[in-house]
Amino acid sequence: MAVVGSVRAALQVAEVLETIVSCCLGPEGRQILCTKPTGEVLLSRDGGLLLKALHLEHPIARMMVACVSSHLRKTGDGAKTFIIFLCHLLREFHAITDKEKDSLFFKNIQTHGRHWKNCCQWKFISQALLTFQTQVLDYVMDHYLSRHFLSIFSSSTKKRTLCRSSLEMLLEAFFCGRVGRNNHTFISQLMCDYFFNCMSCESEFEEVFELVDDCFVELKVGVTGLPVSDSRIIAGLVLHRDFSVYCPADGDIRIVIVTETIQPLFSTSGSEFILNSEQQFQTSQFWIKEKTKAIVKHLQSENVRLLLSSVKQPDLVIYYARLNGISVVECLSSEELSLIQKVTGIAPFVLPQASSQYEISNTALVKFCKPLILRSKRYVHLGLISTCSFIPHCIVLCGPVQGLVEQHEGALHGAFKMLRQLFKDLNLNYVTRASDQNCTSSTNVYKNSRERNQLSEIVNSSVQRPYQGTVVKNEDELAKTHSYSKVCSNLVVPGIELETYIPCSIPEVMPANTYQTDETLRYLSPDKAKIIDDHEPFIESDSANSRTENTRIEISFENVQVTKIAEKRSILPVRYKSLEMSASQSYCFSCIPAGCVLPVGGNFEILLHYYLLNYAKKFQQSEETMVSIIIANALLGIPKTLYKSKKGNKCFPQIYTRALHALQTNQPMVSNPAGLESVAGKYQLLTSVLQCLTNILTIDLVINIKRLPQEIYDEDSEEEL
Amino acid sequence: MSRLEAKRPSLCKSEPLTSERVKATLSVLKGVVTSCYGPAGRLKQLHNGRGGSVCTTSQSAALLASLPVTQPILKILTTSVQNHVSCFSDCGLFTAILCCNLVEKVQGVGLTTTTAIKLNKHLLSLCTEYLKSEICGCRIPIDFGSTQLLLCLVRSLLTSKPACMLTREEVEHISTLILRAFLLTVPENAKDRIILGKSIIVPLKGQRVIDSTVLPGVLIEIPEVQVMKILPIKKSDSFKVALFCASLSGDLSETGEGTVVLSHGVSLENAVLDQLLNLGRQLVSDQVDLVMCQKVIHPSLKQFLRTHGVIAMDRVGVALMEPLSKMTGTQPIGSLNSVSPSSYGSVKDWCTAKFGFKHFFHLIPNETTVCSLLLCNRNDTAWDELKLTCQTALHALQLTIKEPYVLLGGGCTETHLAAYIRHKTRDEPESILKGDGCTQTELQLMSEAFCSALETLAGSLEHDGGEILTDRKYGHFWSVQADSPSAVNWPDLLSRCGCGLYSSQEELGWCFLRGAHHPFMPQTCLPREASGSANDLTLDCFTAKLSGLQVAVETANLILDLSYVIEDRN
Repeated sequence: MAVVGSVRAALQVAEVLETIVSCCLGPEGRQILCTKPTGEVLLSRDGGLLLKALHLEHPIARMMVACVSSHLRKTGDGAKTFIIFLCHLLREFHAITDKEKDSLFFKNIQTHGRHWKNCCQWKFISQALLTFQTQVLDYVMDHYLSRHFLSIFSSSTKKRTLCRSSLEMLLEAFFCGRVGRNNHTFISQLMCDYFFNCMSCESEFEEVFELVDDCFVELKVGVTGLPVSDSRIIAGLVLHRDFSVYCPADGDIRIVIVTETIQPLFSTSGSEFILNSEQQFQTSQFWIKEKTKAIVKHLQSENVRLLLSSVKQPDLVIYYARLNGISVVECLSSEELSLIQKVTGIAPFVLPQASSQYEISNTALVKFCKPLILRSKRYVHLGLISTCSFIPHCIVLCGPVQGLVEQHEGALHGAFKMLRQLFKDLNLNYVTRASDQNCTSSTNVYKNSRERNQLSEIVNSSVQRPYQGTVVKNEDELAKTHSYSKVCSNLVVPGIELETYIPCSIPEVMPANTYQTDETLRYLSPDKAKIIDDHEPFIESDSANSRTENTRIEISFENVQVTKIAEKRSILPVRYKSLEMSASQSYCFSCIPAGCVLPVGGNFEILLHYYLLNYAKKFQQSEETMVSIIIANALLGIPKTLYKSKKGNKCFPQIYTRALHALQTNQPMVSNPAGLESVAGKYQLLTSVLQCLTNILTIDLVINIKRLPQEIYDEDSEEEL
Repeated sequence: MSRLEAKRPSLCKSEPLTSERVKATLSVLKGVVTSCYGPAGRLKQLHNGRGGSVCTTSQSAALLASLPVTQPILKILTTSVQNHVSCFSDCGLFTAILCCNLVEKVQGVGLTTTTAIKLNKHLLSLCTEYLKSEICGCRIPIDFGSTQLLLCLVRSLLTSKPACMLTREEVEHISTLILRAFLLTVPENAKDRIILGKSIIVPLKGQRVIDSTVLPGVLIEIPEVQVMKILPIKKSDSFKVALFCASLSGDLSETGEGTVVLSHGVSLENAVLDQLLNLGRQLVSDQVDLVMCQKVIHPSLKQFLRTHGVIAMDRVGVALMEPLSKMTGTQPIGSLNSVSPSSYGSVKDWCTAKFGFKHFFHLIPNETTVCSLLLCNRNDTAWDELKLTCQTALHALQLTIKEPYVLLGGGCTETHLAAYIRHKTRDEPESILKGDGCTQTELQLMSEAFCSALETLAGSLEHDGGEILTDRKYGHFWSVQADSPSAVNWPDLLSRCGCGLYSSQEELGWCFLRGAHHPFMPQTCLPREASGSANDLTLDCFTAKLSGLQVAVETANLILDLSYVIEDRN
């Protein structure tokens, strides 16, 4: 049976999913209870988990879930927003096609059947979506949105150091969407404390994140039956095992790791042991005993007080360990051992083959080693002395039921994943449309720069305002920024005379400029935007003066682009055009720098909405603008859902008009943000949704096959054989 | 061949709490747990149609373990209670009933869940802060100089478990035994850190409860034949003991992964037996008097030891290894070749004893931290219940040593707490709300729901249709017989309050618990002499009850917060 794959069907599916997902979105979201066939009960607000638990049958729904999970694999966050945004996009598309059945750019295909026509139309739209992504989205992100970005790093020093208050806000906002309403403050505080406890020095946080993310299972202990508020952080490492032998020890405690039994065995695999007499058997047993005794004695003489073993040790070893006052922990998992090895930097102890005199080099000091009892279960508690930037700490997560503990574990792990993503630069590459031919180039460039200029009017005024804001805050800064702008203008003057100076001179200034500071958060872009504005009027005036200089202007324009990129400390443009070449397209490479954040609560969406609409206004009717408008409108769906239940001052129309007003008058949108969210995460989410949408739109038929899937033979490889 | 089977789609239900079925099942569960609560609680008989023994109980641990729950929301509730019980042993029913009450009452209020949950949390922290504070009027500090309060605590625990089927004297007897058993596990000369010993419960079913007893040291059950073989040896001082954890049965232990090739005529069994006899010789020459082994001892070695006047005990089992090693000071020996003299331990004395129809080998230690509680009851079900109760009581005592407080029992803590919250929310609502966006009216509504949940909990102690009163001075719990004439002089009908701290001689201004309330500040700061004078108080374990309260509120919040239930039906 074949089902017509249409936007209508996809919309129906997405709407159903939206109703489920939207109830647990945001700080007001509620919990969902999932039962597993095994009888386990799981509490969750994790969108990805919910979608999987539904076991959807509808093919389009399954495609959506697959898209969501591939997005989650990348970023670990945003499943719920994904569905809501996708649903709004589909809704917009559905509405628009209902309105204009014969829209202007599909006239040529009216002869085909209506369905196929529709499909072609969708094909067109999906292509438009792709061009939107490559041309508009990154451009808007880079040019307009970036000036609103805040940074998570504190800017007091030149190194990247984390600002605690910003991190707290970021985590609080993250956990608002992940754990129960009463616990998010507590959990985010716990995570923040944990993180700052684990960090040995402030600048090497990335290594710590990586290690915690990788070894999270070993670093947490779940305890059921206790109230959530009993969760805490424990210094040292908690192993999920009990001591086989525990001998209390003080002072200089050394540990060794073994991965095999200390007691020599009669025969190893692959060998034969031939016994000729009973005496021989007894002597060999005696030898084994003496050997074991000697090894354990030697360990003791080397001050080893704890033996960590990945295998079960025989009774004999346990006995001698106990006699010599060595504690033993057996059956440790390889993950636990590798974590200990990472932290302490020791390698497993290799048993000596022949000689009885040997050195044990692979020992590590520990501060303490004692049993820890949590809910009448015993654990081993080790005070490891770290040799890397990670100081071992463990999180004990308590909760009345296992489901809740698991939810908190999942949320914490997700937070680490999110932070790891945040500390990576995200590249943006886009195509700016410039002139096609030399003859038309003059007008085009002129027009372009005009457009830019129009934009820059907005930009200019918006740039000034933040400056004024900072002036109020910090007087020293005022002087600084003034001096900077002075430098800039100075540099621009020679630029008029000789354009080639610009690319080399401006980058020199910029690094200084980007270190401009304010108290906790930093506006990343104002200076940069200012520089561009300084240039553009002069370009314009140049081109107005003489038309023969057209090519030069173009280049200088490109150079401005170059400098702009250079100042952002990213890769320089790959294509550097010669004078003669006509610039048809220029590829720009830029990035969202690591640690970029925006205030939470739909700010990203409203900003992008505003700038996309602005962008669309400047061009005539085209697919691109239409898509931009649709996406801009759909973006509003997310804040709409977020503020659904709010009344009065906090309802969506109020928030929206206030934000627009702030943007138009160039005031900061949010005076004191309650939380922060990662820009890169939001951006990735947007692109993932657009990809998913193009996938959905390009499908015209869904064919349902009732047969069992056939095995696919790899014919190529057979032929090769 | 992999089996391919399409997964069935899950069942997704929205707003589960509004569904009639869920409401009905919740109220059934509430009925079950409420009717079990307290000394007058009704017993439940659980029997599985497929087999297994019948269990008569009123304890949450036994009840919830065998109650099959399929409804996901009930499952959250019951597992949460079970987890609490496995941590603290006590206050399981308290947690379950409070949670059910809260869910029911909060739903009745009709506030949005966000507000309700937020306020619930504020009220909970109000409770916990009060209970932990010095001014708390329902908390008594424990003075370890006297056993009075500890005995009261154990006695209250025993009386609240009617399925143990104990008479008044038996309750007295057992509670003294439990307290003695507990005190025996406390080491005499403790340094900075106390490590408690262990009390082992030894079953002796079919005997009178009065025959139960506590003995220092370890009792090992032995067959009657062996009793004859244990000859009383009299020595001046202590006896030397060796404890083996390795098997002495003469079978070959680990030979590795490779192959072992034997020449013709070589018998490894003989070689091992030789080894064992050598070990025996060493033990004899080391003048060991008693050899105990976790596993089996080879009959030849046993015989050899016996002929040399050494007593051999095998199949001790892994459960007894730790107490034995602790009590005698031995290192469990894992070697067959030679035994280091430092791994021997000692006992003061031993004897054989007969309790009921069972024979025991009784090891008497030099220094007591291990004791055996020989527990008797008439039949199996009552014994099981009694054993569970004893374990709960021992655990409660351990928790009390960590946090040396007890709470007033008999419903008084609940009514007192309710009165306190009512007063606080009326008196200083701003300090509770802390600018959280909730209005004072919402707080009043929620606190009324919270308090009535607590009071209904206290009220479920009464199962015989009696009336519940509370006084307007202390906010304690008073119950009146069912068929008492109304509008009489209350002091004539009432005798003592639920916990037994106050008598009706004082004029306290009683009113019905269920009626409308005018908030009043219950008297805080328990008078010092109150704890000393009364010797028949009803008390509850502080740690367990506090945690139970927190778990109940958190679980209720969790249940109220549910918006969808997704059931995987594969």
